[in-house]
Amino acid sequence: MFYRLSGVYHSSLISDSRMFKVPADRNLAVFLLLIGLAAPFILPSLYLNSYILPWLIWTAAALGLNLVTGWAGQLHLGYAAVMAVGAYSAIHTVRLGVPWEIALIIGGLAASVIGSLFAFAALRVKGLYLALTTLAMQFVMDWVLTHSPTISGGSHSSLQAPTLALLGQQITSDAGYYYVALGWCVLVTIFMLNLKRTGLGRALVAVREKDFAAAILGVNSFYYKILAFAASSFIAGVSGALLVATFYFLAAPEQFSVNVSIQVLAMVIVGGLGSIIGSYFGVALILLVPGLVNGLVVTASEELGMQVNVETLAHIPNAVYGALIVIILMIEPLGLGKLYGNIRDYLMTWPFDQLRK
Amino acid sequence: MVEAAKSQFSASETIGALLARNASSYGSNIAIREKERGIWKETTWAEYAEEVLACAAGLEKIGVKPGKAVLILGDNRARLYGGMLAISLLGAYAMPAYPGATIEELQHFLSEVEIVAAIAEDQEQVDKLLELRSASASGIAHVIYDETRGLGSYEDDGLMSWDHLIKVGLDYLNLDPHRRDELLNRAKPEDPAIFLHSSGTTGKPKGVVLSQKNVLAAARNGHAAGVYGEDEDILAYLPMAWVGDYAITVAAALMFRFTVNVPERQETVVRDMREIAPTFYLAAPRSWDQMLTTIQVGMENSTPLKKWFYHFFMDRAIAAETRKLNGHSGGALEPLGRFLGEALIFGPIKDQFGMSRLRSAFTGGEAIGEDTFVFYRALGIKLRQFYGQTENSAITAMQAPNEVRLHTVGKPAPGVEVKIDASGEILLRSESVFDGYFNKPEASAEALVSGWLHTGDAGYLEDNGQLVVLGRVSEVMHTAGGERYVPNYIENRLKFSPYIKDAAVVGAGRNELTAMICVDFEAVGHWAEVNGVPYVSYSDLSQRDEVAALIRPAFERVNKAVTEPLHLKRFVCLPKEFDPDDGEITRTRKLRRKVVEERYADVIAALYDGSAEVHVSAQVAYETGEMGKVERNLPIREV
Repeated sequence: MFYRLSGVYHSSLISDSRMFKVPADRNLAVFLLLIGLAAPFILPSLYLNSYILPWLIWTAAALGLNLVTGWAGQLHLGYAAVMAVGAYSAIHTVRLGVPWEIALIIGGLAASVIGSLFAFAALRVKGLYLALTTLAMQFVMDWVLTHSPTISGGSHSSLQAPTLALLGQQITSDAGYYYVALGWCVLVTIFMLNLKRTGLGRALVAVREKDFAAAILGVNSFYYKILAFAASSFIAGVSGALLVATFYFLAAPEQFSVNVSIQVLAMVIVGGLGSIIGSYFGVALILLVPGLVNGLVVTASEELGMQVNVETLAHIPNAVYGALIVIILMIEPLGLGKLYGNIRDYLMTWPFDQLRK
Repeated sequence: MVEAAKSQFSASETIGALLARNASSYGSNIAIREKERGIWKETTWAEYAEEVLACAAGLEKIGVKPGKAVLILGDNRARLYGGMLAISLLGAYAMPAYPGATIEELQHFLSEVEIVAAIAEDQEQVDKLLELRSASASGIAHVIYDETRGLGSYEDDGLMSWDHLIKVGLDYLNLDPHRRDELLNRAKPEDPAIFLHSSGTTGKPKGVVLSQKNVLAAARNGHAAGVYGEDEDILAYLPMAWVGDYAITVAAALMFRFTVNVPERQETVVRDMREIAPTFYLAAPRSWDQMLTTIQVGMENSTPLKKWFYHFFMDRAIAAETRKLNGHSGGALEPLGRFLGEALIFGPIKDQFGMSRLRSAFTGGEAIGEDTFVFYRALGIKLRQFYGQTENSAITAMQAPNEVRLHTVGKPAPGVEVKIDASGEILLRSESVFDGYFNKPEASAEALVSGWLHTGDAGYLEDNGQLVVLGRVSEVMHTAGGERYVPNYIENRLKFSPYIKDAAVVGAGRNELTAMICVDFEAVGHWAEVNGVPYVSYSDLSQRDEVAALIRPAFERVNKAVTEPLHLKRFVCLPKEFDPDDGEITRTRKLRRKVVEERYADVIAALYDGSAEVHVSAQVAYETGEMGKVERNLPIREV
């Protein structure tokens, strides 16, 4: 209904490989970006900084994991560890007097180096074995963080992040934090959108579908797997650093523990492997829905005057949220991104049922 | 600039002069867009003119000169269009043929005029030309081909690729700096633009040479009548050997600087049309019917909600449009329905079929069914009828966007004079009328009497100047009771049923009328699937009782519209569709009545002798050129 495709033709290969082939998709993206830019003027800062901001940063992180899991098809259970590397490296760099811009990049590079080092070892195995190896990385990193006071300050301590400053400007306002998060999320999204239409993206997809078939096609699958791990770790590192700088304000080992890794993976899977818009939805579901359900349950029990004990009250949201994930994956195993795609297809072929041949 | 350009439209224009004007004044505008492997390759007017010039020079080198002809054989290709222009620059005859033309048809062309060369689309056409060359003693010394695939190992004499021809031509052009100007100015307005053939519903097709003056006058007349504006985007998909294609895609495109979009293949036309979304679209009623069937079948298969929306808005719009056609005004809520319908249903459908940018849409060639016509008007497409013939460079009369009635074809275009003679035949006079059939003085003398073209169509002018076309004068027939009828008129009305593809009405010299029907395989096949009617083939499907019941209402409708003695009494569904390869219809799908009546003489006899069944063996020409037979017993059905 909203998708109009007539009159869209390509007179060169460059035009044929543009990012948004459907004008309506581009318009939607621009519209959402404008809303994103206007959000600080619309939303109260409580919502802005406790819901939207973490959503954006976790989306950037989830997109990074989607790169390695969704595009390159490699299961990764140590993603939080890589984020931790980025966060701690960046904070330490800033504490040494280096400006934040460079520190963020150094954080990303450090994460990238550690991530790909592990990948070198981990990628000698495939599938579940790879998943276990990455899980091992997570535990190694947890151990290192809790046992090396020079990095984390010790097992139960936390590390204060210096005030964020970019381009010589100290950032202390809520809107400021928000724009930094938005900027990073948009940057990662654009990178991922471009990935789809480059040789790198196609090579990754080839590796995902069957790595030895890709090798027969001349795609060096080991090289591309490492590349995927390196790029994804860079995104993880910067996201981790920004998470601490704009949201947590201090870094502690438990912020990057194994359950966080699992959570990011859940975001990617619920959102849809290889789906960009799906990552946004997946993060929203995993991150925001528990709070929403919690609020609903509390309000409902108060309104109805039910005497629910505190422990039950705490468990109901978890149960609901778990059920929600199961239901979504049963309806559409390919995730929320695919659900969105189904709706898009429905409207794309409107008023017909399928694409005409 | 526009003013200056307008003043240049004088009677002394030639194709060369227009090409020179476009190349110099509008050099960077896109002349041709041709789809190749999914990408629309663009050629500007300056590049196009250069290629045409190089082609002309190359053709001159291989002996193309006035009085000789060059055959153009293939589907629409940018280079074939360029080749036609190049031939016109040299003053020779560009002779396009239908891509499906058989060797015998081409041999007839060879017997008319000396064909020195041929420009072919691809290997398939080259093979045909080589076969033709070995079958005939003389002619077609040179064969130029566009698509090189599969032709690498051919070593026949005179075979060369288009690129080679252009290279030869460019070398020749660059020898003399004045040669380009000389080539552009060589041909005079009286020199030929194109050598076409009349459709040949009766006997062999007659050669029709249109001069550059004729076709450019027609282009001007069409513009003056508001058929097209300037800078239209058009899709070149009509057969190149049809005069309508030449008038629009070559003559009007050249004069009014259209961008001609050439689809990748015939099979991709629908998709390519959506990508380009042309601003001008001309199609035969058959194509409009086909698209309507596709839309309706698509909606049948759609989801309940979408279907409900479609019927809600479409039914109302059709009712409104029918009211308008009958001269009633609409209700107060009509504009609202129109607006919402446009947003929810009409817009998306037009978008799916690439009709969203249409400024003018035309149907021509034969009568269009009311259902089809009203449907497109309801969609918001200002579908109009136009009337023309090869002898008058296609552009004779057309409807204005807002005064549309079903039975008229509109007012004559400015520059075309129309009068009706005593016998009811339509006569035309215009600068776009040809000078006579090629080498057929008797036929020419019959067709052209003191400057008036006798169209052979019966018709009359209404008081408000609208022209009504009834049918071919030669087709007016009489039953044994002396009742006058035009079979084509009745057949067209039968064909308004989406389930009937072709019909042949018989009854001349008989007491009553009967018909032979070819059902539409796509529409009836889909109906059979939906309604659980089993069938194995076309010939099987066409004979089923359910199908006979399905098409019977079409006869009842026709019988209501004609007088009692002309009622159709019986019909037979033929076991094969009419096919131009079998000679039953022309390439433009007009019925060859004599051939059909001869071939199905047994069936016709059975229609009148009261038998309940007739055995038929119909001849089929396969695409490989082999002949086959379809044998079957056909039940005779009562209406």
